[in-house]
Order: sequence, then C-alpha cells, then structure tokens
Amino acid sequence: MALAPIGLQHFLVLAAILFSIGMYGALSRTNAVGVLLSIELMLNAVNIMMVAFACYIETQQPLAGQMFAIFIMTVAAAEAAVGLAIVITVYRLRQTIQVDEIDLLKG
Amino acid sequence: MSSTEVFVAITFYVTAAAMLFGAVGMVLNRDMIRSALLLILTLGGVAVMYVLLSADFLAIAQLLVYVGAIMVLMLFAIMLTPNQLDLPGGSAQAQRVSAALTSLAVGALSVGVMVSHPWVLRREPLNMETAEAIGTLLLTTYVLPFWIASVLLTVGLVGAIVIAREE
Repeated sequence: MALAPIGLQHFLVLAAILFSIGMYGALSRTNAVGVLLSIELMLNAVNIMMVAFACYIETQQPLAGQMFAIFIMTVAAAEAAVGLAIVITVYRLRQTIQVDEIDLLKG
Repeated sequence: MSSTEVFVAITFYVTAAAMLFGAVGMVLNRDMIRSALLLILTLGGVAVMYVLLSADFLAIAQLLVYVGAIMVLMLFAIMLTPNQLDLPGGSAQAQRVSAALTSLAVGALSVGVMVSHPWVLRREPLNMETAEAIGTLLLTTYVLPFWIASVLLTVGLVGAIVIAREE
C-alpha cells in the first residue's frame, strides 16, 4: 500500500469534517434535543483535535491538550444536564420542543 | 510501513468510516431515537481515536461520561418528549440549505488550514501511560480549574433538578 502512515493531519481532517457535520445538524435541526446532540458531536470533534495536538505537536507540556479535553468533557456534561432539564420543562409547559415554535420572547 | 503502522492505519480508517457514517446518519435521521443511537457509534469511535493518540485515561472517561452518562440522559429526554420529529418543508427547507452552505464553507476552510499549515511536530509521537501523570497534574498545575469544574458540576446538578422539578 502506498498510503502515508497515520499522522497529525489525518486526525485533524477527520475532526474538522465531524465538526462541520455537527454544525449542519445544530443549524438545520428543529428539534431542541437534536440540536443538543449535534452540539455534543461538535464538542467531541474539538476534543479529538486537542488530543491530537497533545500527541504530535512539540511543546513544553505534553499533557496540556489532554487536560483541555478533560475540562471540555466536564463542561459538556454540565451543559447536557441543564440543557435537557430546560427542554423537558419547555415540553411540559408548551407540549413542543421545536425551536421554531418556542417564541415566547418574540414581541 | 511497519506492521504496527499498518495496524494503526487500518484501525484509523475503519473507525473513521464508522464515525462519519454515524455522524451523517445522526444529522439526517428524523427519528430522534435512531439519531441518538447513531451518535453513540460516533462517540465510541472517538474513544478508539483517543487510544490511537495514546490518551488511555481519556478513552475510558469518554466511554463512561459520554456513552455511559450523557447519551443515557439524551435518550431519557427523547423518551420524555414524544412525537417531536423535525418540521418538514417550508422555512425548514430554506434553513437546511443555508445550514448546509455554512457548514460546507466552515468545513472546507478548516480542512484547508489543517492540511496546509506547517505544523512543528515532535520527533516521536506521545507514547506514555497518561492516567498517573494526569492525576498529578490535576492536583498540582491545574488544581484551580479542577476545583472550579467540581463547583460547576455541583451547580449544574442542583440547577438541573431545580429546573426540571414539578412545581
């Protein structure tokens, strides 16, 4: 096989593609849970990039990228919990979680 | 290529194909349960990528936190909000087109930058057991972010209960 060995750019390109797929989902979904799922995908794509940089880039602190990924994961967990609580409350109040129909603040 | 490199390459391409399948299926599927199950495939693939990048602790944390906890939460939320398919046609159609254009532009731009930028690589990729080093770092250099993260988790947990509680 004439393929190059797997290196930094393979992971970066994969993460960039996953990020843009997640972005499409976050922008095109009308279901609030679907938007949250897409945002999780985007966060994971960024995490792959962080860990890939930690693995391949010359730096003083080789584990700094992995620490970033750990804290992103923590914040993502908190965000998912609060976001889903809001979604469930909105469903209880309005019987819909379509983001187009949640327009209470529209004058 | 040595046999290890061939093994890494095969693992990478197979996992990447599964992840892309899961991600595309996730954003295109109108059934939310199927969307969530396909996302679990992608998140599991992320754990495999962490193993390839010698991030053993993160791979396990990924499986526990994302596949184990967050996705179960998502499935609960989907089951508690029935009959909520994406809206078809109309303004949703225009929204899909502009979303596709935006994400294509962002994707093309970032792939271009990733490929063309002259990265300064280290001589040998990171190859160590990270769990012990991460534990040490969390309680020395990163003790303040660690502390703030634990406060954030507590506040998030209490906040989620307060928001979702029946009056």
